[in-house]
Amino acid sequence: MADYPDRKVRDAQMRATINQKLVETGEKERLKELLRTKLIECGWRDQLKAYCKEVVRQKGLEHITVDDLVAEITPKGRALVPDSVKKELLQRIRTFLAQQSNI
Amino acid sequence: MSLVGCPHLSSFKASKGTRPYRIIQSYFVYCCSPENRKRKATACLCHICGSHGERLHSCLHCVFFGCYSRKHIQDHAKSKRHHLAVDLSYGAVMCFICGDYVYDRDLEYIAREVKTKAAKSIGMKHALYCPWEPTQREVELLRKNPKRRKITENSTIGLRGLINLGNTCFMNCIVQALTHTPLLRDFFLSDKHNCEQKRSGQCLVCEMSRLFQEFYSGLRSVHIPYRLLHLVWTHARHLAGYEQQDAHEFFIAALDVLHRHCKGMNGNANTNPNHCNCIIDQIFTGGLQSDVTCQNCHGVSTTIDPFWDISLDLGPSNITPTATSNNSSTSNSSLTTISDHGNLFNGDISSSSLLSQAIESPTSLLDCLRRFTKPEHLGSHAKIKCCKCQSYQESTKQLTMKKLPIVACFHLKRFEHSNKFRKKISTYISFPNELDMTPFMSPYRRQNGLNNNIQEMDIFSTSENKYTLFAVVNHIGTIDSGHYTCFVRQHKDQWFRCDDAVITKVAQQNVLDSEGYLLFYHKQVLEYE
Repeated sequence: MADYPDRKVRDAQMRATINQKLVETGEKERLKELLRTKLIECGWRDQLKAYCKEVVRQKGLEHITVDDLVAEITPKGRALVPDSVKKELLQRIRTFLAQQSNI
Repeated sequence: MSLVGCPHLSSFKASKGTRPYRIIQSYFVYCCSPENRKRKATACLCHICGSHGERLHSCLHCVFFGCYSRKHIQDHAKSKRHHLAVDLSYGAVMCFICGDYVYDRDLEYIAREVKTKAAKSIGMKHALYCPWEPTQREVELLRKNPKRRKITENSTIGLRGLINLGNTCFMNCIVQALTHTPLLRDFFLSDKHNCEQKRSGQCLVCEMSRLFQEFYSGLRSVHIPYRLLHLVWTHARHLAGYEQQDAHEFFIAALDVLHRHCKGMNGNANTNPNHCNCIIDQIFTGGLQSDVTCQNCHGVSTTIDPFWDISLDLGPSNITPTATSNNSSTSNSSLTTISDHGNLFNGDISSSSLLSQAIESPTSLLDCLRRFTKPEHLGSHAKIKCCKCQSYQESTKQLTMKKLPIVACFHLKRFEHSNKFRKKISTYISFPNELDMTPFMSPYRRQNGLNNNIQEMDIFSTSENKYTLFAVVNHIGTIDSGHYTCFVRQHKDQWFRCDDAVITKVAQQNVLDSEGYLLFYHKQVLEYE
């Protein structure tokens, strides 16, 4: 257990390095666009949009903020992402990382 | 939530303009150059806690990055009275006085412009998704035509029987399969065919266009495809007359004529026969890789040929598999590459031991495909001159899928013609509703041979190789006389049996239990171009 905080620091550093690589190469934007199209194709976007409309209608347009909406739809949004989409994104990230020699 | 900006943003714009927003947008949200991306990668960290996630925002008034989730940007706004901030993931503007994101037309235009430029800089100009916004003219058209046709679950739009004009069931079943090909339907219903020879009445593509309009007009009466038949007789003379014909032969002939008539319209047809972009080639053409390995030096010679369908053997013996090349003239000019080192995985040890296994009659589509893509020993009577060691040697040949078509048509060779006998093979061959082509793709199949390791496959498998069944053509009867019918899929999972003029609803299991002759599969996911 003694080395636990140490590992946590290392993990955080690794995450920061990976993020830096993803941004630098433009891969992050590509992944975001891929995710966007996949979510549109599988109907996720339409489902969430319908749910957002319902939430806004219930609370009233004048009384709702983006933060309220985000808090309300996030659990449902996460749950509705199909496994196949997650798998494909993971696959793409793995491939990308395998190509990076200096991480 | 305000739709027209807010007074605080308006007064900011009045005093400082939109330049601060544009700078943040193009340097830290959507970067347009490698230098900017590098800067974003290293500098976009919260000035308080150093994190890069947590919904990072940039102050619009001064140089300060702070994360939203941990309230560091909020603290900054409060202490410095800098009330506007830009979200660094999406570029939206937050006003802390109003307590919400605000939308401003000028800033949205800037964001869109910068975003497009950034996408181009990393080579994804085609992939960028833009939601459809009707133009002025489209809005007008929509207003003038207020009637909307809504397709409900039990709508029968798209289903029409076809009169048999004298042994023309071979044509009717292919017409049913083609009219239910999703991408082809979308092409014709959106009126994409611009014909150069409009008035000649000779263009088969124009006739297909009319046929699609007929099928999806909402009429339920039987359609009489006499014009189509006449055009087929004119353009494919070998199919003329009232004799029984082979549905597969008709399918290939129809694609060929359609492809030729499409060529007339995109003009540059003669420049490169291998890269036709007509709708037929976009939908039906795949690429088949053939690797011939010399048994002496293990040099591999690779050719890639276009195909429109895959013909699969059903008999027990090891008959050479064939794929119908879509055009005899194009197959001569196919690409040829020669790799200069032998492939160890495909050496004689593995392939000959595999070939010595008894080959049994296939019982499923997957069996057929495994056999189709299996390395085949060409034997001593068929020695080929090796391009590498320049001598005549025995070799092995393997066919694999280099490029998958959007619609894959599998032809089960039920009609056997040899010089000794002619017979029909009526064995039941099972086929799945969903098909993953990954195991037959060149990179996977060449590496793994026949070793069907499922876990290995997982790495290669993507949704891009997955297909769903949408039409099946069946033949009832003997090799000399019989009748063709067709199953088509409608909506997402409803199946209908089309027997000339009669259409009946059936369960999916009926389709999967049938004696399939032609199987049509559609890709589940389409790549953007």
